Amino acid sequence: MRAVLESLVALALGVLVGAAVMAAWGRDPWAAYAALFTGALGNARALASTLSRALPLVLTGLTFAVGARAGLFNIGAQGQMLLGAVVALSCGLFSLPAGLHLAVALALAGLAGALWALPVALLKLGRGVNEVISTIMLNWIAHWLTLYLVVQKLSDRVVGQRTFTAPLGMRFPPLYGELTWSFLVSLGTALFLFWFLWYHRQGYEVRAVGLNPKAARAAGISVPRALLVALLLGGVSAAWAGAIQVLGRFPYAITSDLANLGTLGFDGIAVALIGRNHPLGILGGAFFFGVLATGAARMGLRGVPLEMIQIVQGVIVVAMAAPEALRLLRRVPLPIRKKEEVAA
Amino acid sequence: MPEPLLLAQGITKVYPDGTVALTGVDFAVQPGEVHGLLGENGAGKTTLTKILSGLLPPTAGRIVWKGRPVRFSSPREALHAGIGMVHQHFALVGPFTGLENIALGAEGSGLLLPVRARAIRRRVEELMQASGLHAPLDLPVEELPVGVQQRLEILKMLFREVDLLILDEPTAVLTPQEVDELFPILRRLAGQGKSVVFITHKLREILAVTDRVTVLRRGRVVAVRETRGTTVEELAQLMVGEAVGGQARRAPRPPGEVVLRVRDLRVPGPAGRPAVNGVSFEVRAGEIFAIAGVQGNGQSELVEALVGLRPWQGEVELLRQSLRGKGPAQIAALGLGHIPEDRQALGLILEFSVAENSVLGRLGPFLDPLGGVRWRRVFRFAQDLLERFSVQARGVRAPARSLSGGNQQKLLVGRELSKAPRVLLANQPTRGLDVAATRYIRDLLLRLRDEGLAILLVSADLDEIFELADRVAVMYRGAFTGVLPAEELDRERIGLLMGGVVGVRE
Repeated sequence: MRAVLESLVALALGVLVGAAVMAAWGRDPWAAYAALFTGALGNARALASTLSRALPLVLTGLTFAVGARAGLFNIGAQGQMLLGAVVALSCGLFSLPAGLHLAVALALAGLAGALWALPVALLKLGRGVNEVISTIMLNWIAHWLTLYLVVQKLSDRVVGQRTFTAPLGMRFPPLYGELTWSFLVSLGTALFLFWFLWYHRQGYEVRAVGLNPKAARAAGISVPRALLVALLLGGVSAAWAGAIQVLGRFPYAITSDLANLGTLGFDGIAVALIGRNHPLGILGGAFFFGVLATGAARMGLRGVPLEMIQIVQGVIVVAMAAPEALRLLRRVPLPIRKKEEVAA
Repeated sequence: MPEPLLLAQGITKVYPDGTVALTGVDFAVQPGEVHGLLGENGAGKTTLTKILSGLLPPTAGRIVWKGRPVRFSSPREALHAGIGMVHQHFALVGPFTGLENIALGAEGSGLLLPVRARAIRRRVEELMQASGLHAPLDLPVEELPVGVQQRLEILKMLFREVDLLILDEPTAVLTPQEVDELFPILRRLAGQGKSVVFITHKLREILAVTDRVTVLRRGRVVAVRETRGTTVEELAQLMVGEAVGGQARRAPRPPGEVVLRVRDLRVPGPAGRPAVNGVSFEVRAGEIFAIAGVQGNGQSELVEALVGLRPWQGEVELLRQSLRGKGPAQIAALGLGHIPEDRQALGLILEFSVAENSVLGRLGPFLDPLGGVRWRRVFRFAQDLLERFSVQARGVRAPARSLSGGNQQKLLVGRELSKAPRVLLANQPTRGLDVAATRYIRDLLLRLRDEGLAILLVSADLDEIFELADRVAVMYRGAFTGVLPAEELDRERIGLLMGGVVGVRE
């Protein structure tokens, strides 16, 4: 409850600062915000577009959130997302009955994401390598690997600037406007992880490890298993973000500059922070991101320059993400802290 | 007597969590003296020196430094005025050389450091000559032994030209040889007009090096003595105090079967020094076996080894089953309950609710076949726990953090007992608790003993030991200096054993 209130205050602050920025450069903030609002939510088609953009962000947000619940700073979603996308698409190289083809593609993409998360877990548990370092490196490896495959191996023979398109039997059927049935993946994963974290033994253990690993260990909880589970689940979720972006959204392919995959993985971090690392909060956080993304297009039509739109977006996102980000930072043990006082 | 260099009057310190660490403490240091600060752990020694060195603000009281009232708001200010403290954990930068560490943060050592390096080196060499503190200046300090690092810390303070040097348990990290080298240096510094406050709980060291000694007990000054006019026995008595209240109301009980058997337990500590060095004992059903001792003599490591949180060598059997190679979960399943010394760090997850904490480590009975948690049952169980152990809480959904210390402890104890252990390991079970909660926990332990539970009690609180224990071992530097049945206990003897002055086996 308090979290919702905090978010609303943050949102108001962010919107105000954004308005001030626009006003300072001689734009009409009210017109711009009205454009953003109608552009994102003005009619059913706009809403469908907003939702469609939100769907992969739900999944990458969940990746960060599950990690954070285990006390990890998992920023590997980007690489896992890219890999999930390319593996899912590659499943179009063989043919299977419609529907089954989609299921297999999702399964293999999820597996790829989990495999990509595995070295992070092994390095951390075996050698104490911080997950921030290993995920950053693996993100780059995934980036160049994906780019190589997209450009060299999967590119369309006719249209050079993208890969071949996913066969129809491997696509999510359209629902309304830009929205496809891929929403089930995002919604289902969010609900599953909600259940997992709060209603399952292993989820309970993940949260215990995240909050107090020493106490968890003393209580007989396996810390390595909890971290492994959190990283693997995160890997699957992120990979599915890439998969549904390719199999559930136009152009059903990967553009040669990877632009339609963009920074879905990194944006997930902000989504998770806005959603307080809670699976249900993340649904809201991703929707909010979708609103900003879709609405921005309409703002652009009203003559607000792209750079300014991005500034406003950034300001609002930072304001919304700040409360949870500060909470996470406070957990980082620093050598010099007032804690001394209590501990002495 | 000349005007004191430092005078602290009526110092009281109440921590934010309500713990009263110091009550109306008066403390004076003369120029050119080595002044001992003696007390058990938790007596307030460290708190007092942290206040003097500007690390903590006092809740009440005043400090007069060189005749003028002062109020330091940071260690930097105190250092500037001439008060330097060497902490137990050194403030050295590992990869930096000795010289760099000494220069670090000192006046004018910023950008000009390379230019001034020669002057600094000359000055440090003069100081080494004058004080007798010799240390290599060009090696990374992390490659140096602890004793040498300590010398660098002291040199660092001398370089800042402090008049008062506070050493917090400087001998705790030193080998006996290093201690022997340190003492003449302290005397020499005093001879040169510096004052030294020397914190320790080791009685012999007080006699060996100090001019005067102030004894703290439970946050109050109980005595100030000229070292020449006192004895180890008197200091031991002052440090541990008179018996409060009568002997325990323990009913004599025939000892039961051996539940926990420990043979030649060795636990490695930091820097390769063993923390527990060959300890053997047995705990029988229906007895409370207590380990007394000043904290930091290996008790924590002993406990952590037994519960599976630390590697160890030797033999440990619980109900004739070896604990070798077993982890915390397996050991708990064999019947070991654990009330950890730091309940907030090791016993509870403060952000978790009361209900979530109540099943920490025993979620098994509350799971459905798929591993789902049956929360309704957990809530009912937690509610029951709250009632049975009279835990005051807003409800089972309230975070454990919202409970008072005493109620947190009751929750923890209740949880551990709900696992139906065969031996209960209670490490400082009443530390920091209020009187009522302390009473409750002690009565509970006695009742459990009467019901036939084997209890291993680790406590630095002698009152607790006297009240509860059937047999007492005193631990000093990783070994037992003696094991005594309750009837043979007396405070002076225990005080001497705790201070490492005598050993039954020696």
